Amino acid sequence: MNSQVEQALASLKSGNPEDVELALETLQGVVYSFGMKVCGVREDAEDTAQETLIRLARQLKDFPDARALAVWLYKVAKTQCLMSRRKSKFAPAQMLSLDALMPKESGAAAPAVKSWEVTPEEILLNKELRSKLKDAVLALPKHYRLVLILRDMEQLDTREVAEVMGISEETTKMRLHRARVFLRNALAGYVRRAEMPKVRAHD
Amino acid sequence: MTDRHCKRIFAMLSEYLDDQLPVKNCRELERHLKGCRPCIAFLESLKTTVEACRGYKAPRAPAPSKEVKAALLAAIQRSHRSQ
Repeated sequence: MNSQVEQALASLKSGNPEDVELALETLQGVVYSFGMKVCGVREDAEDTAQETLIRLARQLKDFPDARALAVWLYKVAKTQCLMSRRKSKFAPAQMLSLDALMPKESGAAAPAVKSWEVTPEEILLNKELRSKLKDAVLALPKHYRLVLILRDMEQLDTREVAEVMGISEETTKMRLHRARVFLRNALAGYVRRAEMPKVRAHD
Repeated sequence: MTDRHCKRIFAMLSEYLDDQLPVKNCRELERHLKGCRPCIAFLESLKTTVEACRGYKAPRAPAPSKEVKAALLAAIQRSHRSQ
């Protein structure tokens, strides 16, 4: 992600209108994609991208590097998402308890866990599982959802996520682990229940 | 995954996957995994989940609006003039 933002930053600094337009498209892509993952609604993602980029124009300053620009973009986009008018799409704020998330399988039940034999590619290529993944992300309480999206989908590092969220690295790691386990558990039901159809790469 | 040690290991799995677990805890976790099939299976499924998230792509973005384009170009021109 940072290489995309890096290139966009160089183009913005060049002042060349064609390059600026390309940079704008890149940044629109980054922010819109983030907005879609967080809000799950096209209109909210569009509003998020529009508001964030207008703020970028208003507050255009010399970002020292792509990292600073990326953190700023995600920070503003995150705030926009949280303020989006379709707030009802957000699950109510709640804490995820690690104890409650921990599977209870042991002994005889243990082999059931082994039946998880789906690959990441199969999850992404299988329409139903992909949609379950998306729904599970949207079902996460917002502070866990944001951390998971920033870290695992946008692939920021722990420090960057902590900075965007305004929390410590320890809290970031704690929320990330719970969010991952929540997703894993949400998918597990489908992975176990469904006979995984073999998917072709072009499906 | 119900005994106390499994519970302790369970809390460390994400940091282990991210290579952020301190060496001492890493050794403890790997020792535990050697004898605990449910924990191995859970770790594998967690890894699959994380990798699926990494590969997840949102739908393509629409083109930026004219309003945004105009605002950004104007801001850049202003900043170039003031330099």
